[in-house]
Amino acid sequence: MEQKILKKDQIVKLYNHIVKDYNFYAPIKEKRNITFKKITNPEDIVLDYYNSKVPPKEIIFPQTDILFEYKINGKEIEIEEPKNLEEKNIIFGIRPCDAHSFVLLANFFSQGEFNDEIIMKRRENTTLIGIGCNTPKSTCFCTSVDGNPFQKEDMDIFLVDLQDKYLVEGITNKGKDLIKQFSWLANATESDLKEAQKLKKHAEDAIVTKLELKDIDKILDPNFEHPVWKEASEICIGCGTCSFLCPTCTCFDVIDENVPNENRGRRVRIWDTCQSCLYTLHTSGHNPRNSCIERVRNRILHKFCYYPKNYGMLGCVGCGRCVQLCPANNDLRVIIEKIMEIKPKKEEKITV
Amino acid sequence: MVIEDQNKEIEQLIRDVARKLLKEKEVDVILGYTKGTIPLTSLPIVIDKVEDVDKLIWNNLCYINLAKYLVPRIPTLMNEEGQKLKVGIVSKGCVGRALIHLSVEHQIDLENIKIIGIPCNGIINRKKIEDEIGEKEIFEISISGDNIVVKGEDVEQTLPFNEYMNELCKTCQVKSPPSLEGICVGECLENPIIEDDFSDLADFDSKTPEEKWEYIKSLLDTCTRCYACREVCPMCYCNLCFVDQNQPVWFGKTTAYSDIFTFHLIRAMHMAGRCVGCGACSSVCPIGIDLNLINRSLEKIAKERFNFTSGIDPETLHPMMAFDMEDEQEFMMEED
Repeated sequence: MEQKILKKDQIVKLYNHIVKDYNFYAPIKEKRNITFKKITNPEDIVLDYYNSKVPPKEIIFPQTDILFEYKINGKEIEIEEPKNLEEKNIIFGIRPCDAHSFVLLANFFSQGEFNDEIIMKRRENTTLIGIGCNTPKSTCFCTSVDGNPFQKEDMDIFLVDLQDKYLVEGITNKGKDLIKQFSWLANATESDLKEAQKLKKHAEDAIVTKLELKDIDKILDPNFEHPVWKEASEICIGCGTCSFLCPTCTCFDVIDENVPNENRGRRVRIWDTCQSCLYTLHTSGHNPRNSCIERVRNRILHKFCYYPKNYGMLGCVGCGRCVQLCPANNDLRVIIEKIMEIKPKKEEKITV
Repeated sequence: MVIEDQNKEIEQLIRDVARKLLKEKEVDVILGYTKGTIPLTSLPIVIDKVEDVDKLIWNNLCYINLAKYLVPRIPTLMNEEGQKLKVGIVSKGCVGRALIHLSVEHQIDLENIKIIGIPCNGIINRKKIEDEIGEKEIFEISISGDNIVVKGEDVEQTLPFNEYMNELCKTCQVKSPPSLEGICVGECLENPIIEDDFSDLADFDSKTPEEKWEYIKSLLDTCTRCYACREVCPMCYCNLCFVDQNQPVWFGKTTAYSDIFTFHLIRAMHMAGRCVGCGACSSVCPIGIDLNLINRSLEKIAKERFNFTSGIDPETLHPMMAFDMEDEQEFMMEED
């Protein structure tokens, strides 16, 4: 399909067209942070940004998600299902790393015979209009985890920022059909395509963080008790920043909230983190992951060992949020380097 | 002396004392700061070899309160037999205060600690710098004379240090740890006397209760409950935080405003007369929530009502621990 051109001053037009049928999410500046929010005024949209602090996964997997509400009336129980699941969403301006995280999220929430209907419904009803990263940050490392600053495969529509305009490319059928509705989009010229190619090359070269991750799962697998874990967790303070701001973390807790004396309540899903002491605390009081050592290990193993083993892909998209925002500067890149330095164990000779 | 030169002196002091302590086997390890892997950070580091002493630095970005690593919650500073290590800890004033306060609360044994006192010259307000630079990546940050030089993508800015210092550092009167005989090495403060007019709170205090409520509401509503503020705080060492209690559940765990507010305000209550004003909570918040005003207000109340400042004297119990018949209690007594 032919590629199109969307001028930046046409974003309002695009918004006005789309908003009739969709919730339009886009990056805005809220207080001091870039964040993806449902837009009510297209003038709020920020187009000059690296990425949001809280990943856009919160649109399909909100931090607080009401699963159902109930009322008890004598012997009758009235259940109210979650609303708005049928509403259609557009996420405009999602970055390639976060778009890739949506693949991982969908994979997790529809694994095997368990299908999370609420999240999968939201995912199905969400269209991704992503933008390539012309200037990746020094903490970005998508190219080390099978990604690319211009990776378009995980989006429905892919845009390339050509300064005053975007090059528009439909990727999925969903995306292509949507583009057809915008008959007013101009056609891209040969020089636009060339410019996009140039930007792609430039962006790839701009990625300075290169992590060697070859066979990392095979290194990690036999090294559950390795001293590297004590080293990697020595300065960890045990907060949940790395996982709450991670686009691929999926852990959640389910809580029941009853309104006392009113015979009603609700069941809520909230984000949980393997860095919290409660995460593995048994009713008996025993905690198999009793310190940061086990918790940091779990986080790394989950993304770089269990993910490759179970799903055949890495559980990290290289967005660099945990690197930038860790309170103690416990840099994931440094931890990975330490792991890759582990020498393969020599086969132990068994003497009888 | 300009900040740049002060930093060099402080760094030299840290290294000299650390080297001596390790050489003379007075401590097993030194807990200090080294250069962070990204700008606007420093990295806490534990060293046990004299050769590594030059890794220790001082750069006005040492915002983590190292006392946190000595409270029971993170049991990392043990030897292989599970014995507690003797630790030399690089201490700006608020780290020293935290250590003294923790010893008052019987959480640490000062006998196992050498406080390496340094005359702290202030910590950079990371959030203010980020706000100043905007959506541009910062590549390098350094101190030149009395200025902070920020280099980033298409940007180089020189900002005056005294303006871009943490608000708490601007009012700080305990820049070095209060002196304790036999425990403090390096530069410590003899008999600190705290005279604080809390003028930095004048603006907030003049607000009406409604305005204060609006301020706090808008301050907290983006909180993601990652608990970085709690985990970085040396005074938050409970094995199970009140908000994590689940048998039964005491407080809501969602990100509904009432739940976020409950967490922060009850945590604040627990900080009254205990907060040592290090500002680490605000420095590390990934969302950029500034809790300093709340903490300063608590400090003010403790000072005005009980004439108490935390972490100054290891012999004085703090108001939350002590009961005195003379304590004012008009708030719980009905007036005739």
